[in-house]
Amino acid sequence: MRPLKWLAIFIVPMGIIIAAVPQNTTKPYKLTAPQLLAEANNRTQYVTPETVADMIVNKDPSLQLIDVRSQDEFEKFSLPGAINIPLTDLLAEKYADVINQDLKTNVFYSNGTVTANQAWMLTRQLGYANNFVLEGGLNYWFEVIMNPGKPVTTSPDEEFARYNFRRSAGSALGGGGAFQAQTGQSQAAAPKPAVTTGPKKKKVAGGC
Amino acid sequence: MGPLITNGIISESTNLFLAFIIGIGFGFVLEQSGFSSSRKLAGVFYGYDTVVLKVFFTAAITAMLGLLFFSLFGWIDLSLVYVNPTYLTSAIVGGIIMGAGFIIGGYCPGTSFCGASIGKIDGMVFIGGLFIGVLLFGLGYKLWENLYLAKFMGSPKVSTSLGLSDGFFGLLLILAALGMFWVAELAEKKFPREEY
Repeated sequence: MRPLKWLAIFIVPMGIIIAAVPQNTTKPYKLTAPQLLAEANNRTQYVTPETVADMIVNKDPSLQLIDVRSQDEFEKFSLPGAINIPLTDLLAEKYADVINQDLKTNVFYSNGTVTANQAWMLTRQLGYANNFVLEGGLNYWFEVIMNPGKPVTTSPDEEFARYNFRRSAGSALGGGGAFQAQTGQSQAAAPKPAVTTGPKKKKVAGGC
Repeated sequence: MGPLITNGIISESTNLFLAFIIGIGFGFVLEQSGFSSSRKLAGVFYGYDTVVLKVFFTAAITAMLGLLFFSLFGWIDLSLVYVNPTYLTSAIVGGIIMGAGFIIGGYCPGTSFCGASIGKIDGMVFIGGLFIGVLLFGLGYKLWENLYLAKFMGSPKVSTSLGLSDGFFGLLLILAALGMFWVAELAEKKFPREEY
């Protein structure tokens, strides 16, 4: 048989198959519901107030605080360097570059964690990386950074180190009382969340 | 999973290494199929030898089927695959210049290197012409910049422009290719040439 017929016998059925099956439109970077649930259960989205305070005090350029409360609340009080993206406007086109990027560590915060978690869940479901939630929200922030409670005298040393860090960070950010830092301030800070670099399209060269 | 480079599965240097291996393989197959002969290549325009059409179109539909099936199995994310942007005017003008050069010179850029590497003098002359062309384009860029960048269309796909699914357009392309091969073989019978 001629090669052309062999080619036709093999390739035409393949073409019919590919024409008949529906196109695969799943995006591998979108999370399925069970994956998202697992992430939420592992609390991977949370960044502790200590980490955030440390990044603010050290003027870490990779930190991007995002206030997801309403504009009124944002104008009354916001964390240093934060920008306001109310949850209702989260998916607006002008903010697309802010929530979908691979350079900065975005930290959503609200008064509690509900609104911030909603924002995180939406962005995560869309497959965006590098978005996190401030653990405990602003309420917890005030409790532990601005007015930290002194640990009891029998507490372990780590507890005191954390307390000292919180007080010094709090005073640097304008809360609590004047306080002389006794220990290295980043001692109690948890490791920063890692920024994942997303896939980039690369130009390829080719041709005949 | 794929594309391997964009998803960080292989590094840029591994990619270059693989490209090197594939390039050698490509050159080898070109030479073995007789693509280092300018008479054979020019034959496609005169109808006495249409192997160029058959080889390149078979390669194209094989790669197309492979990508479509890989995408179906979830092995590659086609939205991450780089597609050359289309500048309509320069594509047409460039196509005419390239086609004319192909008929006159008997080579396309890749096959001229193939010919030169086995010592064909016409292949080497053709490469010289290539470099002169590149130089002229670069020196006179200001003159044809407007033409070069005219009618930018992004990276359109024929299937989306026609409103067809990628798979169905693929089937049409396969049938068109087989039709062309059939016509090409008729032409070979009609304009035979013994020695070339």
